[in-house]
Amino acid sequence: MSLFSFASIGNADVNFAGKTVTWVVPFKEGGGTSRFARFIQPFLKKYLPGNPDVQIMHIPGGGAIKGSNYFEKNAKADGTFIFGCSTSVIVNVATGNPLVKYNLSEYRPVVLLPQNTHWFTRSDLAEPHDLSKIKERKLVLYALKTPASADLFHIWIYEKLGIKGAKPIPGLSSSGGYQAFLRGEIHLSSHGAANYVKKVKPEIEKGKVVDLMTLGIIGADGSVSRNPLAPNAPTFPEMYEKVNGKKLEGDDLEAYYAIGAAWSQASKAMMLPADASDEIVKAYRDAAIKMTNDPEFKAKAVKALGPFPLIIGEEAGEIIKKAAVFSDTTKKQLNAALKKHKFTYRVQ
Amino acid sequence: MEQLLAALLQLFEPTHLAFLFAGTLLGLIVGILPGMGGTSGLALVLPFVFTMEPSHALAMMIGVLAPTTTSDTFPAVLMGVPGTAGSQATVMDGFPLSKKGMAARALSAAFSASLLGGIFGAFILSISIYYAIPIIMAFGFGEQFLLVVLALLMVGSLTGDNLFKGIASCFLGLIIGSIGTAPITGDPRYTFNTLYLLEGVPLVVVGLGLFAIPEIVGLLDAKGSIAKSLNTKKGWFTGLKDVVKNWFLVLRCSTLGCLVGALPGLGGTVVDWIAYSHLKQTTKDTSQFGKGDIRGVIAPESANNAKEGGALIPTLIFGIPGSGNKVLLLGGFVLIGIEPGLDMVTTNLDLTYLMIWSLAIANILGAGICMGFSSQISKFTLVPYYILAPVMVCLIFFATFNINRDWYDFIGLLSFGIIGITFKNFGWSRPALLIGFFLSSKVELLSYQTQAVYGLSFLSRPVSIILIILCLATIVLLTKQKFDNNYRSDLIKGKLTQIYYIVILLCLPLSMIWFTSSLDYRANLFPISLSVIALSLLVFILIVKIADLKNLTFLNNTFMKFARSNIFEISGNFNNQLFYYFSFIGFLLMNFIFGFPIAAALFINIFILFHNRKAYVSSICISAVLMVILWSLSSLLTLQFPNGLIGLLIDLPWWLGGQMN
Repeated sequence: MSLFSFASIGNADVNFAGKTVTWVVPFKEGGGTSRFARFIQPFLKKYLPGNPDVQIMHIPGGGAIKGSNYFEKNAKADGTFIFGCSTSVIVNVATGNPLVKYNLSEYRPVVLLPQNTHWFTRSDLAEPHDLSKIKERKLVLYALKTPASADLFHIWIYEKLGIKGAKPIPGLSSSGGYQAFLRGEIHLSSHGAANYVKKVKPEIEKGKVVDLMTLGIIGADGSVSRNPLAPNAPTFPEMYEKVNGKKLEGDDLEAYYAIGAAWSQASKAMMLPADASDEIVKAYRDAAIKMTNDPEFKAKAVKALGPFPLIIGEEAGEIIKKAAVFSDTTKKQLNAALKKHKFTYRVQ
Repeated sequence: MEQLLAALLQLFEPTHLAFLFAGTLLGLIVGILPGMGGTSGLALVLPFVFTMEPSHALAMMIGVLAPTTTSDTFPAVLMGVPGTAGSQATVMDGFPLSKKGMAARALSAAFSASLLGGIFGAFILSISIYYAIPIIMAFGFGEQFLLVVLALLMVGSLTGDNLFKGIASCFLGLIIGSIGTAPITGDPRYTFNTLYLLEGVPLVVVGLGLFAIPEIVGLLDAKGSIAKSLNTKKGWFTGLKDVVKNWFLVLRCSTLGCLVGALPGLGGTVVDWIAYSHLKQTTKDTSQFGKGDIRGVIAPESANNAKEGGALIPTLIFGIPGSGNKVLLLGGFVLIGIEPGLDMVTTNLDLTYLMIWSLAIANILGAGICMGFSSQISKFTLVPYYILAPVMVCLIFFATFNINRDWYDFIGLLSFGIIGITFKNFGWSRPALLIGFFLSSKVELLSYQTQAVYGLSFLSRPVSIILIILCLATIVLLTKQKFDNNYRSDLIKGKLTQIYYIVILLCLPLSMIWFTSSLDYRANLFPISLSVIALSLLVFILIVKIADLKNLTFLNNTFMKFARSNIFEISGNFNNQLFYYFSFIGFLLMNFIFGFPIAAALFINIFILFHNRKAYVSSICISAVLMVILWSLSSLLTLQFPNGLIGLLIDLPWWLGGQMN
C-alpha cells in the first residue's frame, strides 16, 4: 500500500454538500463494473467532502459504447459526474472502434481495480506449469467470446507461446467455456481471479485440473511478479522465456505491457472527465485513500473486489494511457494473430 | 441439505418475503386478467428488478410466475374464459359447474389442486437439481444443439393452431433473433447502421409487444366488464373433499404436468389438455365430462401448476426455456447477473434453492389468498376493461422506457405489438416466435461450436440418439391429441387479408437475404439458411391458403387435410383491435410532446371518458393514484420518465418528466 503517498489534507474549495454525483456505468446491472460501482458507492458518499448522494446510472448497449459516449457528451467537469470504466471500454478505444466518441486516454482516473488472468488445463493433458505436451497436440481448443473484445489477447498469448494447434471456439463466454472445459470438449481455459478461487481451485485440489500460468502482476516500475493466488505458477514473461529461450523484450514486451494494462491493471476503474480540475481529482483521490483505510472496506474488499490492492494516484493515469493507446507495432502483432486465425475483424 | 434449509431461512427474512409477496400479488392479478399470464407479468417487472439484490429479484420473479395458473381459474370458472393459456381445459367443466351454481365448489377444488400440483412441481425440481451435475456433464455442444433444435421443433409444431404456421412462426422468430452483431465475425446484420439494432431488440420489448399489447386490445374489443354475475358463496368444503377423494388423480396429473413442463420449450399451452385427455382415457364413466364433472377441473389445474417446477429444470440447468414465460425469466437472470448451467447447481446452489422455496411458498400464498379472499377477488373481474386498459398501457410504456431509457424501444414495442395482434388474430404462434427469437443466438453459436468440436459425429453419440427419438415420439403423440378435425373453413371471413398478410411476412426473409448476402459467409450463413427455410414454409402455407380459399380438389388427401386444418383463423374483430392499437400510437405521440407524466394522466382520462362520459370521478382518481405510485417507484429506484419536447424547452421538475438530478 506504499502507493498512497498523498498527504490527506481536507480540501476547503471542493464541497459536494447537497449535490448528487451521477456514476455512469456503461453496462447492465449485475455485471462486474456495476458490482464494483455498487460496492464503492456508500464509501464515496461517506468520504467525499459534503457527503453527496451517489447514484449509479446504467446505460448499457452497443458493447459499452452507448454509455461511454453518453458520458463524454453529458458529463459535467465539476465532480458531479464519474465514469465506471472496464477492460472492454478500454479495448473499444485501443482497437480503434469507429463508433467510439470518448477520449478515454485524457480522463482523470481516481481508482483502478486490477485483476489477473489464470490459465489452466486438465491434468491428463499436461504437467503443472508445463506447456510442452500442449504444444505437441495437433488441436488445442479454447473459448473465445468475440475477437472484438479483450478475448483478442488470448490469440496473441497463444501465438507468442508457440501453441500451433490453438484454435478458438467462437461465442463461448468464460463461464460457458469453463463448463465445456470440464466436460472435456476444450483443452485450455482461463478465468479471472474471483472465479479462479471459486471454481477452479476446488478442481485443482481434486487433481482434475493443473495450473499453467498467470498473466503476472505488473508493478509501477514495469517489473512483473507472480500472482499471490497461484504463487507456484509462472507468469507470462517467465513462460515466454522458457518456451522461446529468450527474455520477453522489444515489441513483444511492449505489446505485453499494453495488454497487461488494459486487461489486468485497469480491469475496472472509476474516472473523472478529462476537464475535471486538479482540486476535484485530488478530493476524489483523498476520499478513495480514506476509503481503503475504512475498517468496513478492509473487511469486505477482498471478498467483493478480489485480492489485488487498488491503484490510486498519478500512476493510474499512465496505466490508462498505455492501455488505451496501442502502438502501431502492437496493433500489427494483434492483426497478424487475427489474420492467422481467419478472423475478419481487425484492430484499427 | 444444509443449504436447502439456509435458503428457506433466508427466504423468511422480512424483505425477501415482502418481495415474494409483492410478486405473488402481481401474479394473481395478471392471472385473473384473461389472456395475460406469466409472460406479460414478468415482462412488466423485469425493467424494475435490476436495481434489486439478486435474491430479492428472484423471489419476486418466481412470485409473479407461480400463482398465475392458480388465479386464472376465476375467469375460467366464472366466465368461461381462460385466464391464461394454461387453463383452457379448466373451462370445459369449470364453467358448466358454475352455471349449475357450484362455482364455489369448482374454485375451491381448483385452488387446492393447484396448490398440491405446485408443491409437487417444486419437490420434483429440487430432486432433479440434486442429480443435475452428471446430466449437465453429459450434454456437450452437440447434445445442447440438438436439444435446442428439438425444443424449437416441438414448440413450433405444438403451440400453433396449425402445424406449419407454428413452425414458420418459430423460424421467423429465429430470423428476428439473428438481427444485430454477428457473433463470429462481429459484422452488423440487418442493423441499417443504427446503434440500436446492433445488440438486437431487447427481450422485454419483444415480450411486452407480443403478449401484453394484443391481449389488451383483444379485451377492449370484447367490450364490457370481464364477468357478468358472481356466485361464489357456498360449496367450499365440497370442493376440498373432492380433491381429497381424487388424490391419486392429483398425483398422476401433477407428474404428467411436471414431465411435460420439463420438455424444453413446451409446457404452458398444452399441459392442461394433456391432463384432461389423460383423465378422459382413464375414467370409466365419461358421461359427465363437459357438463360439469369436478374431476375435469382438478386434473388440468394440478397439472398446470406442477409444470412450473418441471419447466424450471431445463431453464436452470441448460438455459433453455421450459415454456414461454421462462424466456423472460432467463432475461431476468441476465439482468441480475446469473448464468444458467453448472453454476446453478454448484456455486449458485443457494439461489437455486431460494427459487425452489419461493415457488413452493408462492403457490401456498397464491392458493391461500385465492381461497381467503375469493369473493373480493372475483369482484375484480367486474372492473370494466376500459378502465384497466389505459392503466396497463401506461405501466407498459413506463416499463419499456426503463429498460434502456431509449425512445427507440417504443417503436420496437409498437412494432412487436402489431406483430402480436396479427399473429393472435390470424392463428400464428406467439410463444414459438418468442422462443425462436430468444434461442436464435444460441442455435447459431452452438452450431459453430458443435462443428468445431465434433463435425457431424455428434449425431451418433448415444445421448443425441435418445434425444431425437424422444422428440419425434413427443411430436407424434401430442399432435394426435391436440389437433382436431372440426375445422370449418367456411365460417371464417376476411380470408384475403390473411393471404396478403403472408406476402408481408415474406418480406422479412427476403430482405434479410438481400441485406446480408454481401457479408462474410460466417456472418450470413445462419440468417440466410433460416430465411430460405422460412420462405419455403411461408410459400407452402400461402399455397394451402389459396387452395383452401378456392376449395381446390387436391386438398382431399390425408396430408393436405392435416395441413389445411386451421390454416385460416380469426378471433374477434380485427379492425376494432387496430383502432385501439392506433390509440396507443397516439399515446406515444403525446409522450413525445408532453413527456410521460402529463401524457399518462391525459391518456387515462381521455380513454376512460371516451368510453363512459360519466366516469370522470374514477378517471381522475385512477390517474392520480397511478401517478403517485409511479412517482414513488421512480424516486425509490431512480427510474426516469420519458421527457418530451416540452421538457426540452422548459426546465421541468423530474416528476413532470424533467431530468432527474
